[in-house]
Amino acid sequence: MSPRRTDTGGRIDRLKTIRFTFDGVAYTGHAGDTLASALLAKGVTLFGRSFKYHRPRGLLTAGVEEPNALVTVLKGEVREPNIPATMVEIHDGLVAISQNRFPSLAWDVNAVNQLGGKILSAGFYYKTFMGPVIGPLKGTRFWMFCEHFIRRAAGLGSAGSAKDPARYERMNAFCDVLVVGSGPAGLMAAKAAADQGARVMLADLEPRFGGSTNWSGETIDGAPAAEWARRTVTQLQGRDNVRLLPRTTVWGYYDNNTLAALERVSDHKEQPAKGEPRHRYWAIRARSVVLATGAFERPLVFPGNDRPGVMLAHAAERYVNEFGVLSGERIALFTNNDSAYRAAVALKKAGAAIVAIADVRSELSAEMRKLATEAEAEVLAGHAVVATEGGKAVSGIKVQRFDMLTGALTGDERSIHADCLLMSGGWSPTIHLASQAGAKAEWNAARQAFLPPKPTQQWPTQQWIGAGAFTGSFSTAEAIAEGRAAGLAAAGGTSTPAALPTVEALPGDPDPAPVFEIRAKGKSFVDFQHDVTAEDVRLAHREGFVSVEHLKRYTTLGMATDQGKSSNVPGLAIMAEALSKPIPEVGTTRFRPPFAPVSIGSLAAERFGDLKPERLTPMHDWHLANGATMYSAGLWYRPMIYGLSGETIEQAYVREAKATRESAGIVDVSTLGKIAVQGPDAATFLDRVYTNMFSTLAVGKARYGLMLREDGFAFDDGTTWRLGEQDFLMTTTTANAGKVMQHLEYFLDVIWPELKVHVTSVTDEWAGAAIGGPKARQILAACVTDTAVDNATLPFMGIVRGEIAGVPVMICRLSFSGEMAFEVYSGAGHGTHVWEALIETGKPFGLVTYGLEALGTMRIEKGHVTGAEIDGRTTARDLHLDWMLSKKKPFIGSAMMDREGLIASDRLELVGLIALDNRPLNGGAHIVEALDEANPHGSIGHITACCYSPALGKHIALALVEGGKARHGTRAHVSDPLRNRFGPVEIVSNHFYDPEGTRMHG
Amino acid sequence: MVERQSPLEPEFHVGSHGNFEHGVEILLTETRPGSIVQLAAWPGEEKKLIAAIRTVTGLSLPDGAGGGLSDGVKSVFGFAPGKFTVADEDEGLAAAFAKAVTPAIGTVTDLSHGRTAIRIAGPKAEWVLAKFFAIDFALTAFPIGAGRSTTHHDVFAQIQRTGADQFDIYVFRSFARSFWKALCHASEEVGYEVQ
Amino acid sequence: MLITCPYCGPRDVIEFTYQGDGNRERPDPASQNFEAWNAYVYDRLNPAGDHNEIWQHSGGCRAHLRVVRNTLTHEISSVAFVRGDHGSAARRKAEDKP
Ligand SMILES: [Zn+2]
Repeated sequence: MSPRRTDTGGRIDRLKTIRFTFDGVAYTGHAGDTLASALLAKGVTLFGRSFKYHRPRGLLTAGVEEPNALVTVLKGEVREPNIPATMVEIHDGLVAISQNRFPSLAWDVNAVNQLGGKILSAGFYYKTFMGPVIGPLKGTRFWMFCEHFIRRAAGLGSAGSAKDPARYERMNAFCDVLVVGSGPAGLMAAKAAADQGARVMLADLEPRFGGSTNWSGETIDGAPAAEWARRTVTQLQGRDNVRLLPRTTVWGYYDNNTLAALERVSDHKEQPAKGEPRHRYWAIRARSVVLATGAFERPLVFPGNDRPGVMLAHAAERYVNEFGVLSGERIALFTNNDSAYRAAVALKKAGAAIVAIADVRSELSAEMRKLATEAEAEVLAGHAVVATEGGKAVSGIKVQRFDMLTGALTGDERSIHADCLLMSGGWSPTIHLASQAGAKAEWNAARQAFLPPKPTQQWPTQQWIGAGAFTGSFSTAEAIAEGRAAGLAAAGGTSTPAALPTVEALPGDPDPAPVFEIRAKGKSFVDFQHDVTAEDVRLAHREGFVSVEHLKRYTTLGMATDQGKSSNVPGLAIMAEALSKPIPEVGTTRFRPPFAPVSIGSLAAERFGDLKPERLTPMHDWHLANGATMYSAGLWYRPMIYGLSGETIEQAYVREAKATRESAGIVDVSTLGKIAVQGPDAATFLDRVYTNMFSTLAVGKARYGLMLREDGFAFDDGTTWRLGEQDFLMTTTTANAGKVMQHLEYFLDVIWPELKVHVTSVTDEWAGAAIGGPKARQILAACVTDTAVDNATLPFMGIVRGEIAGVPVMICRLSFSGEMAFEVYSGAGHGTHVWEALIETGKPFGLVTYGLEALGTMRIEKGHVTGAEIDGRTTARDLHLDWMLSKKKPFIGSAMMDREGLIASDRLELVGLIALDNRPLNGGAHIVEALDEANPHGSIGHITACCYSPALGKHIALALVEGGKARHGTRAHVSDPLRNRFGPVEIVSNHFYDPEGTRMHG
Repeated sequence: MVERQSPLEPEFHVGSHGNFEHGVEILLTETRPGSIVQLAAWPGEEKKLIAAIRTVTGLSLPDGAGGGLSDGVKSVFGFAPGKFTVADEDEGLAAAFAKAVTPAIGTVTDLSHGRTAIRIAGPKAEWVLAKFFAIDFALTAFPIGAGRSTTHHDVFAQIQRTGADQFDIYVFRSFARSFWKALCHASEEVGYEVQ
Repeated sequence: MLITCPYCGPRDVIEFTYQGDGNRERPDPASQNFEAWNAYVYDRLNPAGDHNEIWQHSGGCRAHLRVVRNTLTHEISSVAFVRGDHGSAARRKAEDKP
């Protein structure tokens, strides 16, 4: 029995008991515990199985960098895998399970992978599965065969498939100073900046602010450091210019000091409060950034360094001081630097026996020897640990005399009985955010670490100020001084006269000995999470991987969810040694976002679930109440059909179209883009924008217009109404409304700034109802007041103003359906009122409502084009709209539209198709001259739109076909192998129905 | 006089919602102005347009980008270079401006039906709006009366601060219900009341 | 990336639409010089360093802006209205600065 809860000490509340389960076993912990500390307190040392070899693994760390103890947290049906147990705050009802084990954590059959260690070495997958042909199995096919088994054996936790009911939100935040990290440096920076009146945000990924003060055992201003931190936080809390963000990981650093952070709002609660999100994604725009992110302790690389019970020295110190948990009874330490001695003293004080301190250095300072004496520990200077013993937990270690200059191990191995081994390989500043911001880290030989560069070498759009351990200043006194200076500088302030807080701390040299690995027999792990050993790194080197970026990808070193937080520098050091190069010449890889895993839900935020914006027409609710089946067209919702019970979609649209052509039909056209074009130069502008003339259009008349792009291709079409001398109402297709608006704005702002024209989107101002059919005029005449609607008053393309049911309306006589038709516009807020009045009036005339399907059917019958034909590849000529190309004036696209390729005779042109086998056609189907079902080829075009035509009694389509008109009257075939639809068609004019337009001119 | 239909109707539920047991920190309502008009001056004619605004509404627009003010009945603010939004409880603003803003000064566009005005007020108004818009809502950065043009995904919005913790948001009518639902959803955690 | 709109102030790049190389010159509308039209429609500069670009503040005031942006660092050294000055009504006050 080794780890246990101490009777006193720690920042947990022993009076509050919390119940949770791990792998189905019930445990208790205390408020303030993490899953890691609570389980460790109960003597649990085995937390997971390793990635490749399924080796038993325990806690290496106490924080976010934990590579081993990854668990899956279950909340109802939802499972979240790969969370470090060190980051899970326990709460009543918490259910966590271990990962990558089968059938159980203690008895894992895949642990035999350890025996085949050679086979699974670096590059195993590449070599095995991209190699030569082995019998009938090519590399890739062999891979597919094996993948199933390997994926099951290797890996981390499995993702859930249940719908996540949690709420995620995004917050946009602005501040003068963002401080990342709330250790002594961060707290001082936040306080100094806040004292200057700056708007400050302070974020820390831990639930408890204070960083190392929570476990260092030091004294600040005469009080325990944690007490000082708590007081400082309380002061900050009371200020309205400070926002504190605990449990918030700043994970991305982008241009212009835009930072991304993840706040875990309610993961630590049994239930979130009503409306409370699980995670908040903070997008923070900071004028200045203070990076006080501290440093990570590094493991040492030696055989058996991954056995449960081998832990980082500071982690044990943290467990005992912050959580009141002793990680062992008989503790040995192995170090290359002074910081481990403080841990020894702390653990001794808490009741553990310190059996030995193996230090790679042969010369030790008197101060360290004094601390060792205080810890009643045997000091083994010039020694190294060469092996650990035990099964699922450490039971002992072996040490040997070690020469740190040559790396040689001499003398006999000596066994020491211990149930916990703490190691310290020095410290690496947490420079991830600075690295993301483009900073090139600099190797510091004394600290044996990459330090952030001077501010002058920073990327121009991301400027930060560093403080504390982040800069390589590892003492608390330095952190306090640097923190205050950084906070002042970030807030643009100058020095303050007040004295700095005083610190009482144990002595220690911040510089470690340059020792990263002890080369002895056995597996020595560099990257614990991806099971990369020191030998893997050397193997990669032997196989020719020289660049550190290649090494990383070949071995996968540092590519696991912990992103190599603890393995990066040891890996580089081993690589450097293999290359016989100094570390700075090998270089470091650039860290990329995210610093720690981010929930996808938080990135989707309010777009998650049903909250995507939708656009509704003024008559939307009427459509729903009257049996419409809605169809989403872009963001808009439009009626597709108003089906009667038992009707199929085809039956419904055929009925609707037929009734419209026989009596009258009404359709909601409010979604058409509408742009007010106003000003003295409006007519001139429209002449330039459209291919045809608009300056000649009389007030009170409308005209159909076509726009081209600058490159001469067709862009959009629609009618534009002249409401006044300087006042036009342009309509666009629904889909292109936004694009046309931007097109107009661009030309007015950039190309023709001299034109006095304003364009405004008025799409939403108007409700539009198109009423068409032989009875349409009679219906209007029966309900419109204040104006006549006869042929003289309202000729084709004429506009009148009047009233319907007491509401002002604007009526334009134009037709998309080919029938005599009118578009009735009213204020959007009166849309339903007018719509209902029209329908009520129309009842005796047999008026029907129709949807998009019938609308599409009637336009195909008429051969009108829409976005399916104006697809960005067709020209006006291709669509037989060349009659609209004015020769009297230049217009947008006129200079480019006559290019060789755009007037070639083999271009695809708009035609009509009739299915000769009387079967439905499919959009997108190819047209061929000769059918070859076995080997479809020789496409001469494709179908853009198709329907059953009630007017013709046939299945018809519009198509773009090579040669176009020249093929009218000839036969071809549809060839649609995807949908297995082949058959003969006749190519005809696109004007199927009433080509002379007698019906609409009436 | 036919009353205008609100686009929010089926989703407009008067009363307290969300986490209101701990107090309501957000008030949501639709202000339903009778007139919403957009005015735009030709370059160099901005001063004359501002004078016309004063003539018609009695409101003296402060100089500077995004400047604006509200007297509780009428509101005006700049939302783009030379462009202003004016709202009035009464109808008929467009007709009044059509006389005051001559073609030599600029243009008048009636948007009384096309824009929906939603008011969010309360101590958590800045907090809730920060969930939608990437602009700084702090009083120092966004003073009372001022206007801002911004976007929440596809929903274009003009926002005027009409009080220390009160904002009027003008959105396209077709998006209004969707935006309203999102606003209610985002207000749940702090408790909200629809008036 | 932030672009400081002269009207609206600093805004996130998602509020803006890139509208192309700002060095292009549109030929006279009546010109039949095909080379010039071709260059205007298709040729784009792609410098490694400062680039003159046109951006529209499409999610804000909708003005088009002339932006000088360093394509290597995203550093923006100047932003101005394409359509010239709009007088003091379009100028941000000192306290609105980023
Ligand atoms: Zn702008």
